Amino acid sequence: MTAAIAGIGATEFSKDSGRSELRLAVEAIRAALDDAGLRPADVSGLVTFTMDNNSEIAVARELGIGELTFLTRIGYGGGAACAVVQQAVLAVGAGLADVVVCYRALNERSGRRFGQAFASPDPDSGWHAPMGLATPAAQVAMVAQRYLHDSGASADDFGRVTVAARRHAATNPYAWFHGRPITLDDHRASRWIAEPLRLLDCCQESDGAVAVVVTSLERARDLPRPPAVVVAASAQGSGPGQYVMTSYYRPEVGALPEMGVVARQLWDRSGFRPHDVRTAVLYDHFTPYVLMQLEELGFCARGEARHLIADGGVELGGRLPVNPHGGQLGEAYIHGMNGIAEAVRQIRGTAVNQVPGDGPVLVTAGTGVPTSGLVLAPSL
Amino acid sequence: MTAESTPAAAELRAAADELRRAGETAAKPGRDPVNLPMIRSWLEAMGDANPAYERDGTAPPAMIQVWTMRGLAPPSTGDPLQAMSDLCERSGLVGVVATDSAQTYHRYLRAGEEVTVRSRLESVDGPKRTALGEGWFITTATRWLVGDEPVAEMTFRILRYRPEPRPETPPAAPIQPVITADNSFFWAGVEAGELRIQRCGECGARRHPPGPACPACGSLKPEHIVATGAGTIHSWTVHHHPPVPGRRAPYTVALVDLEEGPRMVAEYRGPRPAIGDPVRVAFDSGLPVWRPDVPTLDPWELHVTPTMIISTALATRDFQNVHHDRDAAVRLGGRDIFVNILTTTGLVQRFVTDRLGPAVTIKSIKIRLGTPCHAYDTLTFTGQVFGDRVDVVGRTAAGVHVTGAVEVRR
Repeated sequence: MTAAIAGIGATEFSKDSGRSELRLAVEAIRAALDDAGLRPADVSGLVTFTMDNNSEIAVARELGIGELTFLTRIGYGGGAACAVVQQAVLAVGAGLADVVVCYRALNERSGRRFGQAFASPDPDSGWHAPMGLATPAAQVAMVAQRYLHDSGASADDFGRVTVAARRHAATNPYAWFHGRPITLDDHRASRWIAEPLRLLDCCQESDGAVAVVVTSLERARDLPRPPAVVVAASAQGSGPGQYVMTSYYRPEVGALPEMGVVARQLWDRSGFRPHDVRTAVLYDHFTPYVLMQLEELGFCARGEARHLIADGGVELGGRLPVNPHGGQLGEAYIHGMNGIAEAVRQIRGTAVNQVPGDGPVLVTAGTGVPTSGLVLAPSL
Repeated sequence: MTAESTPAAAELRAAADELRRAGETAAKPGRDPVNLPMIRSWLEAMGDANPAYERDGTAPPAMIQVWTMRGLAPPSTGDPLQAMSDLCERSGLVGVVATDSAQTYHRYLRAGEEVTVRSRLESVDGPKRTALGEGWFITTATRWLVGDEPVAEMTFRILRYRPEPRPETPPAAPIQPVITADNSFFWAGVEAGELRIQRCGECGARRHPPGPACPACGSLKPEHIVATGAGTIHSWTVHHHPPVPGRRAPYTVALVDLEEGPRMVAEYRGPRPAIGDPVRVAFDSGLPVWRPDVPTLDPWELHVTPTMIISTALATRDFQNVHHDRDAAVRLGGRDIFVNILTTTGLVQRFVTDRLGPAVTIKSIKIRLGTPCHAYDTLTFTGQVFGDRVDVVGRTAAGVHVTGAVEVRR
């Protein structure tokens, strides 16, 4: 059975939504159902992140969804983004639910800010946070420093990722940084967060919500909007010696083997290869992980990403446009879900920064954690 | 109106430009020639028993500033630091602390030599947010001469600030380890001053972080060995932002390849590291800490008394009231009288010559001040030797009072 993404919806992306996270979830899901031409009563499954504060039952109540037959969540922060869609695909394919909505709603800037230091009761965290590695940026910085050493890349290569994202966001009216491109010098001048990461290596903090409606391709064909987007492959992956943001104890520190696990599955299942990909929507909470993902996903060899991104290689019109919406560096940080929505728009041909072609679009989820990915393609 | 654009800020900048343009002051003589009575008083106040000075008839190099301190005499008109500082004070920046001193000694002075001083304003930076309040940093460059011969030079920085009431919130507690049945052996080791790493009781595989089962052979017989504590840096970061409870940024954290194989994360204290640098574990506040694997100086614990603060302040001819008048110090927001920067420089010099022996020659002393060292504090100096450079840290219970680097010739 082939699954399709029948609808996408989102709230505005802001720094202070002024509304509850539950209301954001309701608004995004309503928009996604409207986009699909479905009603709340059609929904039989809800999937979200373990980090989402809105219970499936509260969401169902507010939307007037009656009965649910499939409720589940995926852990590991932003690593869940594509995996929630995979859960929906599995549920639809197994006949457990007909229409499944994936949602993520968060007041991450006006509420709990993920970038702040935090103490976790997780014993794994006890080997890092008490020693001063208490923020995601610092935890990524340790990997980034080693990556620079191993690959010969420079901090400017990190900067090129953020320059590309901001260029794309500049022409995306939905992006927080709409109309505000930056230069490499802006990146070089931005303040240190955790060396070698500067402020402009770190994604935004955002308030907002995104929802995605998954159903069977067969069902989607009966909906008002043509069934343009199929899930050609979905995958989840965890690597050997995996930790949350601190996988420092396996042989190679400057690598993302969990994304390699995802990549192998995506190419095997979809039958596509990296060179088929029209545009890649890569999870970009921190710039170094974009370079490392390009390598793990097979767009270039290990340690070679700096050559791929050189001379605007990941910008619109480049060798592989990455994050045409501006990504989480430029558009908003909705834990990767806004990237899935962008991939859907690219397949539909309705993106503000449309990448020409008819190839598939790759989407990835949070890096440095157990992660996931999708290959979306036009339906035949 | 932002602080950037206030008339006061503009006035300070204009005055700074003018003083900078004026260049170096004319040579101003010290009150007295270099002389043994002042040297002896200084050594006595510092508790410095180094016999080399008396034997050779030379002055301790860290005394250089003393020879040209104005003492209680009225300030001279041409001094750029004084002029800038006074202007700041009139703008409401009534607080003043010295923050940095970097002295280079071309040679030791001998009793009887007449020293002159010339200085120029290097920079005025502000307004800056500081822990003490909004302030301006004033940096001057000073040269000392005997006749036409330059004998020493110094870059000196002070902070002029507008004192702000300190927030009442107590400092946040540091993030604590997560101790479980599977890892308590590690933390018991830290308490005992040992770095313990897990070893499988069946197959002997070593592992960190520890866990209940052996990933190599599956056995549930965890044991541990005591690591040598030596390793090399695999990666590192300097944390700047956002604030982390119980820590003062910036600080460095390193991932270390231990000699025994496993890797481990801990704070790193030392000069800017590089991947591959050798380190060795130490323990502080219940946590392992990496230090460069270089020779260390035996720590020196100094119990700071009011007598010591006052006698050293007078021996350095520093008559600022906060160094001898407790009421004045408290009125200006302090807890008690505190050690002046000339004394901190002298104590750093004493620590290094006490530990390396009187035969070493001090080439330069560069220090940065942190938290003040008050009367009744215990000031503990530690040092690490990097060839001809000794990195010194002086800590009190309140935090780091001084970090410094001393260049020596042996």
